[in-house]
Amino acid sequence: MTEERLLRKRVYAARFACWELHLFLDTHPNHKEAAKRLEEYEARAAKLTKEYEEQFGPMGELSQNTSRWAWVSDPWPWEKEGN
Amino acid sequence: MFVYEKRLQYPIRIKNTNPRLAKMIITQYGGPHGEIGASLRYLSQRYAMPYPELKAILTDVGTEELSHLEMVGAIVYQLTRGMTPEEIKAQGFDDYFVDHTAGVYPVAASGMPFSAQTFSVTGDPLADLHEDLGAEQKARLSYDNILRFADDPDVRDPIKFLREREVVHYQRFGEALRILTDKLDSKNFYAFNPAFDKK
Repeated sequence: MTEERLLRKRVYAARFACWELHLFLDTHPNHKEAAKRLEEYEARAAKLTKEYEEQFGPMGELSQNTSRWAWVSDPWPWEKEGN
Repeated sequence: MFVYEKRLQYPIRIKNTNPRLAKMIITQYGGPHGEIGASLRYLSQRYAMPYPELKAILTDVGTEELSHLEMVGAIVYQLTRGMTPEEIKAQGFDDYFVDHTAGVYPVAASGMPFSAQTFSVTGDPLADLHEDLGAEQKARLSYDNILRFADDPDVRDPIKFLREREVVHYQRFGEALRILTDKLDSKNFYAFNPAFDKK
């Protein structure tokens, strides 16, 4: 696995943890420990995203330093090359 | 509103073409226990939900199902890249191919196109949440059945991820059902429909 894919995988793993905690908090809205964990993972995802973008450029069209070009260009998510 | 994020929820990189397997997996795209049915079910049922926790979980799970639809589509797409006429015939993909070539169309493994008749929106939160628990188990067992036939690790890995998500959603819906029954009249859950009847 290339260094670029490895770091991308870590960013997405952190974001997945955020999503999982977000779902948990839907049915446990007062769960302080889960809310704290969500904050930690959000910070981790932001840090890893910054690390990725400094080395490999904008990460997706939602990135603050992306361009129109990043959205229109290949690969798309269903293509092997995009994963 | 919805915003598209240009990535999969979980990465998919399949090296080998396998139209026979694609034809089984497409059932989770448009079949009776598939992801489009799941998404439409939850996103449509949420309007009748009386409590904010229930509105939240149906919105979020219904949204996640759309990203699973995209993952199943990506698996089918990658499994049918570069297939030869010989592979199409030998692997039983010819009847699908004649209508859809290598396009991704929402059908069941049997060839039945997607139908909203595969799910209910009853307007009754208790009935809908019970259906949702069953739906997650039906999706889970469909992925288990796919895993009986898939021996390519590139395919098994994302299918196992999708299977695991059904287990987590089942857990969350179980909690949603408990929230609902806790808030209803504990002496008789069935006396009225909290989304419609005035108590």
